[in-house]
Amino acid sequence: MPLIIDTLPPLHWFAAGAGIAAVTLILLYVGNRRLGVSSGFEDVCSLVLPQAYFQRGVVRAGRTWRLPFLAGLVAGGFVSAALDGDWNLTWNLGVFDAAIGFGPAGKLAWMFVGGLFIGFGTRLAGGCTSGHGIFGMSNFELPSLLTTLSFMAGGIVTTHLVYRVVFG
Amino acid sequence: MTAVYFVLGAVFGFVLSRSGAADYNYIQMMFLFESVQLYGIIGSAVALTSAGLWAIKRGGRTATGQPIVIPVKPLHRGNVIGGLLFGVGWSMAGMCPGPILVNIGEGKIYAVAALAGALVGAGAFGALYHRLQEVLGLPPINVGTSGG
Repeated sequence: MPLIIDTLPPLHWFAAGAGIAAVTLILLYVGNRRLGVSSGFEDVCSLVLPQAYFQRGVVRAGRTWRLPFLAGLVAGGFVSAALDGDWNLTWNLGVFDAAIGFGPAGKLAWMFVGGLFIGFGTRLAGGCTSGHGIFGMSNFELPSLLTTLSFMAGGIVTTHLVYRVVFG
Repeated sequence: MTAVYFVLGAVFGFVLSRSGAADYNYIQMMFLFESVQLYGIIGSAVALTSAGLWAIKRGGRTATGQPIVIPVKPLHRGNVIGGLLFGVGWSMAGMCPGPILVNIGEGKIYAVAALAGALVGAGAFGALYHRLQEVLGLPPINVGTSGG
């Protein structure tokens, strides 16, 4: 299946896995940093929120590497979408449009609620797909195995409910 | 080093974008077991990272000779409860935290709402930490649920 952004063929899964492993390992070997993206949300919060939770040393210390890393993620997405010489703003949401068909306002509301679950859930779990799923699993850490099994279960149930039951 | 982190983030974002890991359709196909793409990506990334971690830890030093430090993530009830909640969000948005930012760079307008939700969700979590800590028995605030 083509990507939503363009008609160029997707990378083979092994090439993508190797790329992710290379970034993870260079981050550790060169920067002495453990890969993890969701703490970046706390780093952003720490710029504006005064609560003790966000002003802890461990949060503030992560900003010097995580904020440029997050900016890089945006840039990488931009370059990828511009690769075919045609970068566009889009509302295209693939199978969501065919099966559920909400307009722009509905999509924004849906995404905001999804984002709430992502932000709250990843911080409660202490990490996301990168910190637990990639780094923690690679390092044979039990909390990461439990978290990864849990978020896979949550996603599998939710997608089946949305596409096989409610909008099926 | 700021430029190094920016470039690493950009490579990571590019790979996520071009492989389907930041694509709503591919995320739904993963959860419906209709495509091996995402399982192959995560599986090969874990296998290769695991081998590399073994080698780096065996050497024990970074490229500049500092001792390698890998912060340990504590085990707590939030792993399962937070993981389940995050899974709901990953399915709904078709994005996990990295791909939210990748999707914004790709020009997907709705991803901005996912980022707003994620920041509000993380903010609410931090603001409620003391209460959640009592109810769920989370680690003390100076440890937290861990970064990553």
